[in-house]
Amino acid sequence: MDILEKAVDRVLNGDRSAFQQIVDATSQRLVRLGARIMGNQADAEDVVQEAYVKAYRALTAGDFDRRSSTTTWLYRIVVNGAIDAKRSRKRRAEASDEQVDPGWDGAAFAEARLALSELDDWLRALPAEQRAALVLQSMEGLNNSEIAQVMGVSEGAVEQRLVRARTALRQKREQS
Amino acid sequence: MIDQEDIEQRLARLSGATDALRPSARFSARVMLAIEHEAAPSFFESTWFSARRLLPVAAIAAAMAVVWAVQVDGSVDDELATSYASAELE
Repeated sequence: MDILEKAVDRVLNGDRSAFQQIVDATSQRLVRLGARIMGNQADAEDVVQEAYVKAYRALTAGDFDRRSSTTTWLYRIVVNGAIDAKRSRKRRAEASDEQVDPGWDGAAFAEARLALSELDDWLRALPAEQRAALVLQSMEGLNNSEIAQVMGVSEGAVEQRLVRARTALRQKREQS
Repeated sequence: MIDQEDIEQRLARLSGATDALRPSARFSARVMLAIEHEAAPSFFESTWFSARRLLPVAAIAAAMAVVWAVQVDGSVDDELATSYASAELE
């Protein structure tokens, strides 16, 4: 059993402080995933924070049935939160990322942020579900079965979203 | 250069370029603060929890107050009845 599953066990047994270990073990991957779907880091951090609060509530209420791994479960909460946020929330001003204190190498941060901005411009026209499926496959390295688990849909639906996303991107390129 | 890229190449390039993304410096602390807030009982819950301990004392006090009120009321009635009786005799 890895450190993440052990931390989940401890939270399930009433040790709330173990949740910090869950955050430490997963926040980098989840914020990166959120940023690739949301298009900026500030929104991604909001979505991931909300996801952690939901996860904490579910764990302390005994609602996590462990049918999927903890990582898949957290991915699902973040992806659903990001899709909902993309649908309902107006995109923040570009200035929002200026407020993010990277806390790490500024040059690498600037480069990654530039790439994130390019990614956001490119994928902006895609519906949130298609964008999430594409990010999960091509950037997070998940296969269709894993994406189906994360998104709570059939593999056929995942395939359809991926085909539509690529078709839209191809059409966009031909038009430009 | 970007014009020459196909979709898969561009996705792979942007995936690599955004791999370095990580949470901001205070993110973990911010999350744990939200979790602590979530774990802390609400004002209503904490008030009810504190008040719950005083419930038996409050119930006894209320019962004693009722008994006292009935007794006082009874003695007032007796005094009034005595004074009416005295008035009738006079």
